[in-house]
Amino acid sequence: MSEKKPKPVGLVKGPGPTPQSFTFISPDPKSVLKAGEFLTYSIMDDGEERTVLARVRDRQPIRPYPNSFMADPNIAPEAVAALLGYSGHRPELFELTAEVVGYYDDDLRSLVNPQIPPRAGSPICLAEDDELSQLLSPRKPDDVGAAEIGWLLSRGKGRVPVVVDVAAIASTHLAIIANTGSGKSYLTGVLMEEMLKAKNRAAVLIIDPHGEYDTLAEMQNLPDMIDEKYRPQVHVYKPGEVKVRIGTLSLADLLYLLRDLSERMEYVLGLAYRRAQKWSRSQHAGEDGRWTLEILRNALRQIGKLEDPENDDEQEGEKGKGKYKETADAVLWRLNVALDHNTLFDDVAQVELRDLMRPGKCTVLQLNEVDKRQQQVIAAVLLRRLYEARVRTKKGQATVTQNSDLYLPYPIFVVFEEAHHFAPSTGDAISSGTIKQTMAEGRKFGVGITLISQRPGKLDSDALSQCNTQFLMRIVNPADQDSVRHSVESVGQDVLDALPGLSKGQAIIAGAAVNTPILCRVRKRYTTHGAQDISAPEEWRKYAEVEEKRLERDAAPVQMLDQGKGRWKKS
Amino acid sequence: MLLGKIVRSNSHTDYVCQVYGPGEVQCCPTPRDHAFGTFVRIALPTQPTSWLVGLIYDTVLLNPDFGRLGPRLSPQTELAVFSPDYLNEKAILVGITTVGTLTADGRATQGVPPVAAMTDALVERMADDEVRVFHNAASILNLAYAPLLLSRGTPLAPHLLRAILSQLSDLLTDPAQAALLALVQDDLLWQSQIGILGGTA
Repeated sequence: MSEKKPKPVGLVKGPGPTPQSFTFISPDPKSVLKAGEFLTYSIMDDGEERTVLARVRDRQPIRPYPNSFMADPNIAPEAVAALLGYSGHRPELFELTAEVVGYYDDDLRSLVNPQIPPRAGSPICLAEDDELSQLLSPRKPDDVGAAEIGWLLSRGKGRVPVVVDVAAIASTHLAIIANTGSGKSYLTGVLMEEMLKAKNRAAVLIIDPHGEYDTLAEMQNLPDMIDEKYRPQVHVYKPGEVKVRIGTLSLADLLYLLRDLSERMEYVLGLAYRRAQKWSRSQHAGEDGRWTLEILRNALRQIGKLEDPENDDEQEGEKGKGKYKETADAVLWRLNVALDHNTLFDDVAQVELRDLMRPGKCTVLQLNEVDKRQQQVIAAVLLRRLYEARVRTKKGQATVTQNSDLYLPYPIFVVFEEAHHFAPSTGDAISSGTIKQTMAEGRKFGVGITLISQRPGKLDSDALSQCNTQFLMRIVNPADQDSVRHSVESVGQDVLDALPGLSKGQAIIAGAAVNTPILCRVRKRYTTHGAQDISAPEEWRKYAEVEEKRLERDAAPVQMLDQGKGRWKKS
Repeated sequence: MLLGKIVRSNSHTDYVCQVYGPGEVQCCPTPRDHAFGTFVRIALPTQPTSWLVGLIYDTVLLNPDFGRLGPRLSPQTELAVFSPDYLNEKAILVGITTVGTLTADGRATQGVPPVAAMTDALVERMADDEVRVFHNAASILNLAYAPLLLSRGTPLAPHLLRAILSQLSDLLTDPAQAALLALVQDDLLWQSQIGILGGTA
């Protein structure tokens, strides 16, 4: 805490509209008391003087000029007041409402609400920059586990850095919610840069349905990101480059991919799936998930032939036609349509988890050009495998020598862009259950998830409520605001009220990664932003220029090669 | 400086003083001496010597000639010779509201004085030092009588307080006290000039 007593900016009037708020009066001649600005006041608590942090919530002028003074837009109300004999210099006076944030308790290492408003007449000061830097975040910018994503919006550039706790994000999940065009991909880029710095070296996987994050690869050569011993790795998998081994698909995944199956078809597929798994265990030392598409096909063909496939007698029906022959053929046909020649699924090839994710590496999985349902299956399969690997590694069931493909000895961080596609509030997305389960239990096993969405109203509310840290940017839609309000406990009404008024690049940071909700200006990215809006007029103009040149060329007289001289001549 | 004497009272704190006219005292008070907002002291019949401290809040001119339209025995220019008593009936009366007491040894109290003045009690204009002493008891700027003035509810009460504040601003040189006075002055100014027309106080 600063020893120097700051100059008061106002005096407490009395209690505010809520038990945790108070009102104070200030002339605020320099207009420094903006919404979200931080203040301090002193109280005596258990015989000890404490500096309590509070935040400006509302601001109302209490000494406005009469309306009639403003009847003529060309005449300033001050001039009318002067005419009537008012020669004062302080016509403006404001009543401000502030929310008590709390004082920093060294033992608890967090902000504690004193549960009592300040006394009427107590001086209110503007919080000092260095004081705020210490109080707002549990980390300092250079600490291990710190991510400096911008600066406090109400202060000048760089005066009060906004630092989030990467450990909190990585263990208790993060939601980045914003309208389209508000800068959520940009903010995510900033966070990724911070997480991949030498001090943090996160293991990150970004599920990128729009192909916006390939520019993060620039990190590998940026001076801000590298030092003598460390250089972050960024691997961008283009659509089709990441293979999912077919054997790792669950029955639910298959049912999801082979949509609109009848109950009989589902039953037959289930029989075939169990036979394929049985084959896998018999051929691969008791291991599931080693079957191939052809094995599954064979199982279906076999079921079509068997008189009673539920029995183990393997008795074929008359003329090789069993009771599920037609159903099995139909499932087989659908299986071929869905998986045959599909570049995303492969019998053998599969990316190794430790190649996919490791400390200091950011993997971008581009899924543009991929069918939405297949995107969901890929996300579900990958997340399921990653989670299983972390669980098994933590329980000692996967080591370098045993189950080594599921050995993942470090926490991981998975980012879902357009999360409402993967965990929608309605529908039956196959990835939804996996995401929710991982979010509910992932904390114990070091699996952190970030959900990024422009439509929180369409995002599963359970999944959203599991995110203990929130980066909220401009949200205008009332349904989306309601969704945030109901799912996000740590953000107060005063902060939510600011959502529609945020500009591009401004964000509310709230939750476990900071000590109190903060209005933040996001810093400039080191890497290029990969999700720039297309300028339609510019694109149209470019097209027109090309088209004009083509028309000119077509209209030009045809020239023929003069064989004798080797030159073009006019026809 | 002597201004006049108490000729009647309207209440415990509201007195009427007749200002000395020509011939009554050696140095006759000028209009500036009994201006609106002037601090005066009214002698009390107490031992040790003490005074009521008051403020001139009103001025009334008495003129028995007003309304008499009939003929006179003496022309106007000869009245001094033939009817000197008649001339004395013209008078200036000032209203004084008392706001505290002051003793000869500089002890000041503000508020409703417990003791009332007597008829014919002398009224004097207070010197600047006395005004300072009255407001600066124990080195703390004190204006405890302000609510008493405003509670009179007369249209001129806010203006009287403004006049006092203006005088005190000139008399007091301590910057902290000046800032305090400026704050009250500004608020009063806003309320009396803008608030009355619909501006929020």
